[in-house]
Amino acid sequence: MLRDVLAWLGETPWSIALHESLYMWPLTESAHVLTLALFAGTAAVLDLRMLGLALGGVPVSALTGRLLPWTRAAFVVMVVTGLALFYATPLTYYHSLFFRIKVLLLGVAGVNILVFHARTVRGMAAWDHADRPPRAARAAAMISLLAWAGVIVSGRLVAYNWFECAIQPQSAIVNWLQECPVTPP
Amino acid sequence: MRRTFALVIAAALLLVPSAPLNAHHAFGAEFDPNAPLRLQGKVVKLEWVNPHTWIHLEHVNQAGAKEVWMVEGGTPNTLLRRGLKRESLAYGTEIIVDGYQTKDHSLKRANGRNITFADGRKIFMGSSGTGAPRDGRDPTEPPTPPAAKKPPGGALIQ
Repeated sequence: MLRDVLAWLGETPWSIALHESLYMWPLTESAHVLTLALFAGTAAVLDLRMLGLALGGVPVSALTGRLLPWTRAAFVVMVVTGLALFYATPLTYYHSLFFRIKVLLLGVAGVNILVFHARTVRGMAAWDHADRPPRAARAAAMISLLAWAGVIVSGRLVAYNWFECAIQPQSAIVNWLQECPVTPP
Repeated sequence: MRRTFALVIAAALLLVPSAPLNAHHAFGAEFDPNAPLRLQGKVVKLEWVNPHTWIHLEHVNQAGAKEVWMVEGGTPNTLLRRGLKRESLAYGTEIIVDGYQTKDHSLKRANGRNITFADGRKIFMGSSGTGAPRDGRDPTEPPTPPAAKKPPGGALIQ
């Protein structure tokens, strides 16, 4: 079902124009990587502060007030360009094991953000100046660091075709995880 | 705090895959510089797609059987700059491709270096660097540096 929609999406004129493009695709990819650097970089500074590893003595709210606008702006461009790259060759990504891992980790990072904002942020005034914020805040920071690092690494690995469906035989588990359309022998 | 920091470093190291990550999927990660090959036949399919194009051609092997091979080329932009258009690779076009096979020799896949047309036109279709062998086919590759010759004074001048 989803695969059918993506197969159709990949045949739409704009998708073809993008994946065949001379400049648009490389520019989109560059913008994606540059904004992800800004996003993950500023997020990492906040995470390190919340872990108590960097910028001790600086109130957390001072950092979030100054850095988060950049994090958010970079996030928006990163997501838009990421969706555009997905739109260029949707089926390639759909069947990519690394892309699936990336989406999973994006989910982890997303839930972490939601939980953090729903719960941990509320009590922030109490530990705003603390060099070592409470456990919940440190846990959120650690999950954020690891999840985004994982997103970036798995995203990078999408470029490698070690597990590509078209290369058979692959192990049964790889074929299952990627939903490879394999005809049984 | 020092322990947490050590944990972060350890976790980060775990995330670093053992394979070296070079430019966009390096030659060395997928292709075998010691497995050069020449394929000849008609184009049966063309994937004119970023970030790598793929030419599918029907090659007749030594036993006389037809095999469909996939040959990887640079981006559409790279190929266009070298004079290769999508139209020049219309289905049925007779081509000769020199390249290197994938590390897995059971796969009918290769990284293309040169493509030669029936009229004798020869165009470099591969990518530079990233572990690809210096076989003289890439017109943009720098000449192989001469064996380290130490100028008087010690420092090697480029």
